[in-house]
Amino acid sequence: MLKQKTLEQTKAAARRNKGGRSAAFYNNPEIRALGYQLLLVLGLGYFFYSVISNVLANMEATGIKTGFGFLTASAGYDVLMSLIPFEATDTYGRIFIVGFLNTILVSVIGIFFATVLGFIFGVAHFSHNWLIRKVAVLYVEIFRNIPLLLQVFFWYFAVLATLPSARQSLSLGEAIFLNVRGLYVPKMVGSDLFWVAEVALAVAIAGIFVLRRWAKRRQALTGQIFPVFYTSIAMVIGLPVAALLLTGLPFTVEYPELRGFNYFGGITIIPELMALAIALSVYTGSFIAEAVRAGVQSIPQGQTEAARSLGLSEKRIMSLIIVPQAMRVIVPLLNSEYQSLVKNSTLAAAIGYPDLFNVFVGTALNQTGQAIETIFMTIVVYFIVNMVISFLMNRLNNAVALVSR
Amino acid sequence: MREFQPVPARPAPVKTVGPVAWARANLFSSIPNSMMTLFVMALFVYFIPPIVDWAFLSANWTGTTEDACVRDGACWVFVKAWSYQFFYGTYPEEEVWRINLMLGLLVLVIAASFTLPKHIRLKASVAAWLLLPLVGIAVLDGRLLGLNQVTTDLWGGFTLNVFMAAASIIVAFPFSFLWALGRRSEMPFIRSVSIIFIEFFRGVPVLSLFFMGSVMLPLFFAEGTNVDKLIRVWIVLIFFMSGYMAEVFRGGFQAVPSGQYEAADSIGLSYWQKILLIILPQVIKVSMPNILATFVMLFKNTTFLLIIGIPEVVQTLQTALSNSYWLGGHALEGYLFVFLVFWSSCFSMSLLARRIERQMNTDKRG
Amino acid sequence: MSAVKSSSGAEDIIVIENLNKWYGNFHVLRDINLRVKKGERIVICGPSGSGKSTTIRCINRLEEFQEGSLVVDGVEMINDVKNIETIRKDVGMVFQHFNLFPHLTILENLTLGPIWVQKKPKAEAEATAMQYLERVKIPDQADKYPGQLSGGQQQRVAIARSLCMNPNIMLFDEPTSALDPEMIKEVLDVMVELAQEGMTMLCVTHEMGFAKKVADRVIFMDAGQIVEENEPNEFFNNPQNERTKLFLSQILNH
Ligand SMILES: Nc1ncnc2c1ncn2[C@@H]1O[C@H](COP(=O)(O)OP(=O)(O)O)[C@@H](O)[C@H]1O
Ligand SMILES: [Mg+2]
Repeated sequence: MLKQKTLEQTKAAARRNKGGRSAAFYNNPEIRALGYQLLLVLGLGYFFYSVISNVLANMEATGIKTGFGFLTASAGYDVLMSLIPFEATDTYGRIFIVGFLNTILVSVIGIFFATVLGFIFGVAHFSHNWLIRKVAVLYVEIFRNIPLLLQVFFWYFAVLATLPSARQSLSLGEAIFLNVRGLYVPKMVGSDLFWVAEVALAVAIAGIFVLRRWAKRRQALTGQIFPVFYTSIAMVIGLPVAALLLTGLPFTVEYPELRGFNYFGGITIIPELMALAIALSVYTGSFIAEAVRAGVQSIPQGQTEAARSLGLSEKRIMSLIIVPQAMRVIVPLLNSEYQSLVKNSTLAAAIGYPDLFNVFVGTALNQTGQAIETIFMTIVVYFIVNMVISFLMNRLNNAVALVSR
Repeated sequence: MREFQPVPARPAPVKTVGPVAWARANLFSSIPNSMMTLFVMALFVYFIPPIVDWAFLSANWTGTTEDACVRDGACWVFVKAWSYQFFYGTYPEEEVWRINLMLGLLVLVIAASFTLPKHIRLKASVAAWLLLPLVGIAVLDGRLLGLNQVTTDLWGGFTLNVFMAAASIIVAFPFSFLWALGRRSEMPFIRSVSIIFIEFFRGVPVLSLFFMGSVMLPLFFAEGTNVDKLIRVWIVLIFFMSGYMAEVFRGGFQAVPSGQYEAADSIGLSYWQKILLIILPQVIKVSMPNILATFVMLFKNTTFLLIIGIPEVVQTLQTALSNSYWLGGHALEGYLFVFLVFWSSCFSMSLLARRIERQMNTDKRG
Repeated sequence: MSAVKSSSGAEDIIVIENLNKWYGNFHVLRDINLRVKKGERIVICGPSGSGKSTTIRCINRLEEFQEGSLVVDGVEMINDVKNIETIRKDVGMVFQHFNLFPHLTILENLTLGPIWVQKKPKAEAEATAMQYLERVKIPDQADKYPGQLSGGQQQRVAIARSLCMNPNIMLFDEPTSALDPEMIKEVLDVMVELAQEGMTMLCVTHEMGFAKKVADRVIFMDAGQIVEENEPNEFFNNPQNERTKLFLSQILNH
């Protein structure tokens, strides 16, 4: 930095001395910078001016309406799946929300399973078992290198579409059914006292935090180590089950039932959602597996050796030394993978899953012709969702970051 | 004084070397490990024979129509019958030499940028690369060269994926450089514009860009101008690519040691001389693995073109699958074939990227 | 100088008999026999690749061996997790590249073992840690991270980290060879002090001044074997072996 400056000064001095004339004003770096920027402003200004005037002229010529008035108009079409009540007479505004919720649903499912797959196969890369290591490599190299769209189609057209019809459904214990129309699982319908179990679950989750603090304090004071992890799991499962037993099992299970040509009741997962969620999870999972591998590999062998020579057990080396350091590398990569997953969920349009992009940029745009408004609204949503992901992952990153190396 | 007599090396005890010891250490080192090994082996034994049987042993290889598929294995006849369309779309058969010519030229230019003599390599290959898309349009369309015109709605198949990806990255190259320079610039306005541009094109779903290209861009042009849909999508892909590549180059700029800039300054080069002659070649070199990775992403993303109705390879496959002469359900064969085509190209590019990276790492050490 | 030397006649704390180790088919350690008495200071030297690191890494089971036996502080090394952890608690090790945990502060580096292995209360572990930091003369760096310290300081922290576990034996694998010359002394000073307090030490090092000052025995290794071992004066002034003489002339002449 310093060196550059002195160099610049000598040069300037040399220039001044040459012939004794003052340098031309257009050679002054600051004026030049101003000039370049002015040029860019003018260029951009002209660009936007011509685009906007073209757009206005074009829209007038074709008679397309402008503005967001259409949001309160009745849409007149139904969607395949909705998390909130929806009828064909509802508005475009409501359809926007339906699509948004469906996007969030498939993204959350995808992120969850992609993370699970990614961590399993990423860690499998370091297995002592040769076969498992090779399986991990196969998984990553196969699914990373095939376009996502092909994988979506593969699951939808080549796998799920070839499942048997409703009458010949594959079933698991006469409770879960899988056929060409989707996956049908039983639903728990709570009655009067069901809230007790819900409260118990909430208490258990809150209890984990209390337990962790208590265990940490006790260890600091007495040195004794409390098995927080296993106790937490026992609590989350045990408390609600105990509550259910004590209140006399206040719920009924609604099983899917075959009526006519299809199953009714329970929870239905449509094949479009399944295909998209599977493809997103498997595809993104292969990238996350690579990120996990890179994270673990970034830790020098000496770290493990030093921890071993202190007498730490392999389990503690993992949780105290390896994971905190690997997460530093993994979390930023996870951030961008999660964002890609959300963006890639727009492939729903290819198989007709009613996500935001499909119902809005697909159908609504087609019906209203208002390309600019619909695309703009949709893009803004994706930006916001990705900003939220980025924010959360940065929080996580700060939690695992080092002050310095 | 004594002479040191080394104890001769003995071979390792049998129980620690050889295939049995290897299997013991790598497959059966503990009970959970052995169970896992047996489980994976069981999966292989269960699934692989039927798959091999379906795909090879009882597959149908010969014939030209669906009726030829009489055995219960895969119907590769389907893939064979449609292979022309899968590769060339609906491009007229008597003109297909033009596509092959362009593929040849593409390979030639790639080869030239690695093998030309050093003193003309950079200039010659940059010129060749930048000319390539123009030559490609002229040859494939044909009008400029006095050939029969082949309209763009006839272009399709896997070669369209290849050409779209290649043409986009080539044109995106110079732009992304400018964006990366802009983002590093000390001029506040130029920097902000660059950041907004880069983050916009990296932040939105590609599909929405394609929709912009197909339904929004026509509104941007003056009334009466009719720009071909493929060209509109090409423009969009160029923007998309330059957003991503700008970030790749930014990384590349950061990897070039600051001593290089200082050295360039000290021999009195102007800003552009410094950037183009000294910095740029180094940036390209260190960015090569990431450029390849970005290209693989773009290449995979060209399949998304199907959604706006452009007959790239997956769209062609969908058409074939719904053809009324081929309704016997050949989805599996079709997808496996296209899988294989994409997988082999993407996998070889990522192998190449890894090799370049390893080479660079050893260069640095040496 | 002679005050440093330990008394003889104490019991053997490390007994290595006929140790043989292979990496695949490469016979890296050949018939190693070594007995170390409690409180003895041993310096191991030899050309690069001669198996010095591998030998001392066998002592706390960072490396496995295929033949022979090894008894550390009365515990025979067998392939058993608990047994290995018992031995590791008793043996401290200092590495060439320090291997401090970069995500923990200096104090946390020091208390990690006492808290999670010895299950000590935090306050007690921290008090001990501060004591050792004072002994290695950097108590004021307790809240910094390893990356903020110089190499010499990091290596002193690494020594303190091992000492916090209260080991009976300390292993040093070229502790000064990654350091700039002006930092070597500060680390050696700490090691000399440790030796004077009677710690059993095995040091792989080429610091011949250190060897002359504190070692009870110097061992010279080549090609995976112990070529010669002797009391330092004899070793340096009157090597018995042609190979040793050649090696000494090489390291003393540069
Ligand atoms: N993990 C390993 N795999 C194979 N060979 C190794 C491994 N570690 C060390 N070696 C070899 O064993 C020999 C002894 O290594 P080492 O004990 O580190 O030597 P020193 O510490 O004396 O320089 C060297 O030839 C080295 O190449
Ligand atoms: Mg060594």
